[in-house]
This record gives sequence, C-alpha cells and structure tokens, in this order.
Amino acid sequence: MNISPTEAEEALAAIQTMAQKTRKSIASGGTYITLIITGLVWLIGFLSTQFLPVGIVAYIWGGLSLTGTIAGIVLGSRMGNRVRSPSTAPMIRRVGLFWLLLAFFALAVIAVARPADGKQATLLVILFLMLGQMAMGLLFSFSSVWWTLPITALALVGYFLLPGIFYLWMAILGGGGMIALGLYIRLRW
Amino acid sequence: MAELNETIHQPVRLQIMAALVTLEAGNEVDFTYLRDLLKVTDGNLGAHLRKLEEAGYIAVNKTFVERKPHTYVSATEAGRRIFREHVAALEKILKGK
Repeated sequence: MNISPTEAEEALAAIQTMAQKTRKSIASGGTYITLIITGLVWLIGFLSTQFLPVGIVAYIWGGLSLTGTIAGIVLGSRMGNRVRSPSTAPMIRRVGLFWLLLAFFALAVIAVARPADGKQATLLVILFLMLGQMAMGLLFSFSSVWWTLPITALALVGYFLLPGIFYLWMAILGGGGMIALGLYIRLRW
Repeated sequence: MAELNETIHQPVRLQIMAALVTLEAGNEVDFTYLRDLLKVTDGNLGAHLRKLEEAGYIAVNKTFVERKPHTYVSATEAGRRIFREHVAALEKILKGK
C-alpha cells in the first residue's frame, strides 16, 4: 500500500484530532454534570441563606443536598455506562467510603473548631467539599481537578473581603460560575 | 518494520481505532457513545466495526445494563500494536517527504 506524504499528514492529523476529542469527551463527561448540579444547589441554597430566615434555610439546604446527591448518582451512573473500565469498578466502593470518612472528618473539625458563625461553618464545608472533589479528579481524570481551585479561591475572597454579602457572592459567582462552566464544557468542548 | 495497514487506513476505521487506543487498555466504550463521537450512522459504524472485529483489531461485547442491551467496543492487544505500527509508517512517510 502506497500513499503520498500529504495523505500521510492528513491521516496523522485525523488521528490526533480524534484522540484529543476522545480524551476531552471522557474527561468532560462527569465534570459538567457535577458542575451543573453543584452549581444549582449552591445558587438556590446560598440565595436562600442570604435572604430567607434561618429556620426555612435549614430545610431548603436539606432538600437541595438530598436532591443533588440523588441526581448526581443517577446521572453519574448513566454517564459511567458510556466507558467501562475493569480497573475502576472495584474503586466505586472505596469512593463511597472516602466521602463518608470525609464527611465524618468535616463534622469532627466543625465540632472541635466551633465556628463563630454560619459563614465560618459554610466556608469549612466548602473547603472539605472542594478537597473531596479534587481527590476525585486526581483519582479518575486529572483534567477535572482544575475547577476546584478557582471556586476555593472565590470562597476565600468572599469570606475575607466581602463578609456582608458572602452568601450572595457564593450564590452568584460560586453557583452561577459552576453552572456557566458546566454549560461551557458541555456545549463548546 | 512498520507497515501501513489497509484495513485501518480507511478514514472511519482510522478514527475508530484512534478513539479506542486513546482509552486505557481494557477499557471499552458504548456503541452509541462511539457513534456520537464519530458523527456516523448506526449502520455505517456497525459495518466498519465488523471489518475491524473480523481482522481481530477490536473486541465487541454485547451485554445487558439495567435490563437494556448494550454493545461495548474495545481495542485488542493486536489492534493496538497494528495501530502503533500504522502510525509509525505514516510518520516515516512524512519524514521522507
């Protein structure tokens, strides 16, 4: 079989394009769903915290967390069906255990540190959540790690520099930013 | 010595192999996912997969997930090796330009 150098160049370019497309598609699959679900939970939850009485807010966060977790598991398992890996199957149980232990450690830290107000407790929860997400990214797909860093930076900026509108800041920039980023990955990548 | 492979060189089959060898060894992709990634029809993809399967370059695994039939496709060890050789041959042609 003989082909010209131009044909060879075109074939190599096609291979490179497809390899890149596959890598991006796999990496973005779980990431955009996580971003949109977490973003929606944060947007509604933090807006409620900023503007509604404390008694109602606790129920809203409870409902949002439960809905977000169920939606994440259902959509995540559907996305997981697209690419099957024998090496990641035994990891699922360990991942569940990791999140349970992380939740335990977060509760222990909050109990020991006794946060002065809701903002401090919220920031601690955000830091633990981002730490968990970063660990998941490092474990499964390195390209899905980076988004946790700007969100953590945003949370710290809001906490230290804008305490009066911290919840509003987290709703618009944190939640809204995650939704926008998730949509961008889904539609443009 | 690296040689061009006629079965793999066909444009759609080249893209199928490029996508499959990008996955880690042992990983398999759903048929519909591959179809959407390549932007081809079910029939077109099915025909090309059959050719690659007959050549022993890919493995097709038909199974049920949550009671729904699913077809999973993966590159075999031979397929990965042949693809590497094909790419090396293409690079050699380009260098000799």
